[in-house]
Amino acid sequence: MAGMMTTRPFLLKRGFLVTAALGMGLILANPVAVAGADIGPLPTLKVNQARAELGKRLFFDKRLSGDAAISCGTCHKPEHGYANPDALSDGYPGNKHFRNAPSVINAAHKTVWMHDGRIGTNLNDVTRGMITESYLMNMDMRIMQERLKQDPVYVEMFKAAGLGEPSNGGARKAIPEYLKTLNSEGAPFDSGNMTAEAKRGLQLFKGKAGCIACHNGPMFTDGKAHNTGVPENFDVFLDPMRHQAFLAYAAFLGIENYMNLKRDPGAHVQTHAADGSDMGKFITPSLRELKYTAPYMHNGMIKTLPEVVAFYNQGGGKDRNKDSRIKPLGLNAQEQKDLVAFLLALSGKPLTSSRYVWTEGYPQEYEAIANWLDVPN
Amino acid sequence: MSSLKKTPVLIVATAVAAALSISAAVAMGDKPPASAHVSTSQAAPTPAIAGTFAKAPDPAIPPLAPLGEPPIPPDNPMSEAKIELGKLLFFDPRLGGDASISCATCHDPEQGWSWAEDFSRGYPGTVHWRSNQSIINAAYYDKLFWAGSAPSLEAQAPSAAKGGVAGNGENDLMEARLRLIPEYVKRFNEAFGEPWPTINNAWKAIAAFERTLVQRDTPLDKYLLGDKSALTEQQLRGKALFEGKARCILCHNGPLASNQKYYNIGVPRAERWLEDGLAQVTFRFQYYSKGSTEELYRKAKDDVGLYFRNKNKWDMGKFRVPSLRYIGYTAPYMRQGQFYTLEEVIDFYDRGGFDEDGNTTSYPDTKTPLITKLNLSDEEKEDLLAFLEAFTGEEILMAKPKLPGYEPLFTLAELEAAQAAK
Repeated sequence: MAGMMTTRPFLLKRGFLVTAALGMGLILANPVAVAGADIGPLPTLKVNQARAELGKRLFFDKRLSGDAAISCGTCHKPEHGYANPDALSDGYPGNKHFRNAPSVINAAHKTVWMHDGRIGTNLNDVTRGMITESYLMNMDMRIMQERLKQDPVYVEMFKAAGLGEPSNGGARKAIPEYLKTLNSEGAPFDSGNMTAEAKRGLQLFKGKAGCIACHNGPMFTDGKAHNTGVPENFDVFLDPMRHQAFLAYAAFLGIENYMNLKRDPGAHVQTHAADGSDMGKFITPSLRELKYTAPYMHNGMIKTLPEVVAFYNQGGGKDRNKDSRIKPLGLNAQEQKDLVAFLLALSGKPLTSSRYVWTEGYPQEYEAIANWLDVPN
Repeated sequence: MSSLKKTPVLIVATAVAAALSISAAVAMGDKPPASAHVSTSQAAPTPAIAGTFAKAPDPAIPPLAPLGEPPIPPDNPMSEAKIELGKLLFFDPRLGGDASISCATCHDPEQGWSWAEDFSRGYPGTVHWRSNQSIINAAYYDKLFWAGSAPSLEAQAPSAAKGGVAGNGENDLMEARLRLIPEYVKRFNEAFGEPWPTINNAWKAIAAFERTLVQRDTPLDKYLLGDKSALTEQQLRGKALFEGKARCILCHNGPLASNQKYYNIGVPRAERWLEDGLAQVTFRFQYYSKGSTEELYRKAKDDVGLYFRNKNKWDMGKFRVPSLRYIGYTAPYMRQGQFYTLEEVIDFYDRGGFDEDGNTTSYPDTKTPLITKLNLSDEEKEDLLAFLEAFTGEEILMAKPKLPGYEPLFTLAELEAAQAAK
């Protein structure tokens, strides 16, 4: 009886929420409903072309970093699915980064960003975060704004995009608009052209392998943080160039005793559980575009997809905080191959043409405003 | 008879009134509009100064004097360990954004602990918008920067290391870097008794080091301390002009040769802003980041200086009087390096605050009445120049110290043990 009494209200509540969500057509947005969300193609996004074009120029413009040495595209490389082939990203000159740069393809479909999920608002905030963070692009956006205003091409493009004169706010609108143009295109899963092998992989994905428990919805992620026991990348701590960025990050986000920290806290930066039980949780990554985005995991510790599948087949790594659903799967060699084939069927064509990449170059210096004394700043 | 009696009285009265208005302006640094608007004093001071003041110095104006020991703030006492650490940090580019430039990059010992171009070089990808001031004798200023925006050396260092067109560093990252350099961990511990380097202690150490960068043995110091042979005849003539006809002493007085007050002396706008796109970027950034009104941001075409700090209209275009010490090594001169030689500077003052093309301040309403046409002869200018050279002693040079390196904080074995215990 006592058990009935405790479970019944929960069931009722859950049922109510799911029903309400369905009724409002908000199944993807509702956090309770997401767990049951089905995999499928991504919704089409409405894009303001002029803004997206402006965002594209900004994304590849090195003048958006403090010393004008790197652009967003320096780490998020188009030829690598807008991710990075290095296990750990380079970050800003003067330091190196402590995590793998994730793909920004389909980033506009996410509801939570960063491996530790520390940004849960929108791409406008993500854009600001990446540009201003000291170990990433280290840009004082007040200088950035004035750099943009000094480039006649930007003056025209901001105007054409309905954003007035070049501004930080405008840039933070334009880059997310550009990111809306980076979507999986023509993935066999979406177009219904999967091989027999991939189709078998899909069944394993939904069944025996249990991947769908976390990798669900059109983005193949539940948008939540889990610990799967991925081993630490020791380079984070052995390379002082990376460790300094890690320490700055941990200090800023209020991690206790961070000088002694020998593991990536992950989503602990959000939840700060006193017993540390949330240490090492990372947001479930999307499985789209994996074909281009090796290596894998938040720290690039797994180089290939077969190795990723093998990692889960063995029940993940060792961690006292590991999600209880991560257990040995007992997949045979063929099943693992099928699963990899399915994962590859989630990747579309490369987004490397000038439709996606700014190829027209940038001015080498800041042209002086000729009649400076006569025009308002 | 009556006219003969009356005339001297009038002259004395005028001279006294002028001297009073001058001393008021000098004492208050041209602060209130009232003193700046005493229109009758504009023409009168010259004869007053030349005729009376030089002979009977106004007690409000401290004479030139030998430079004493720099003041040491009670919350940052000096120690050998701290000074040595501060020296390393001053030269260490890791106290900056991309670890490519240090304090010493822009305050280069070989360029007078300053930067030998009109605008300071700035952070990579930028240029600064003001002339870089020497570190030598900076220890004596009450406030640092051209408009006095930093109240101490301890406050100046982070402003420079973190400013977007200067060091562009960030506290957490710079502090983390220091903690990964074992030699610094040891030295910070010795200097401050704390287990880890902190960024605030880094600024304290740099300030302590800067307090050792003083010059107190110039020819002028020697002369003022009693060595009458330390100045040449020509320099002595220049000194008399400095204290009299040329009026320099009104502001460049006391041991530091600066009264540390703020004036608009008529320096014209830097031409570079009209021609250099990168400089135009920084110009607007300065107005944007210093909290201007929209109207000021749009209309500004020159540096409003002290106005940034207090937003008083009558302080537009005013800057802190710089010391004249060590100027032999710190060209160019003025807030945006408008003049490359001291000859140009003297000519500028001789014309009453105009450059050779007749350009003057963008804010004529706030120009100090202390600046008037001097009518110096060529010989007098040469004498004055010779005396200005007496403010500079031997060049203070310093080899860049060998900097300690990063080391990993943990061993592989420690990391493996932590991994196994997860």
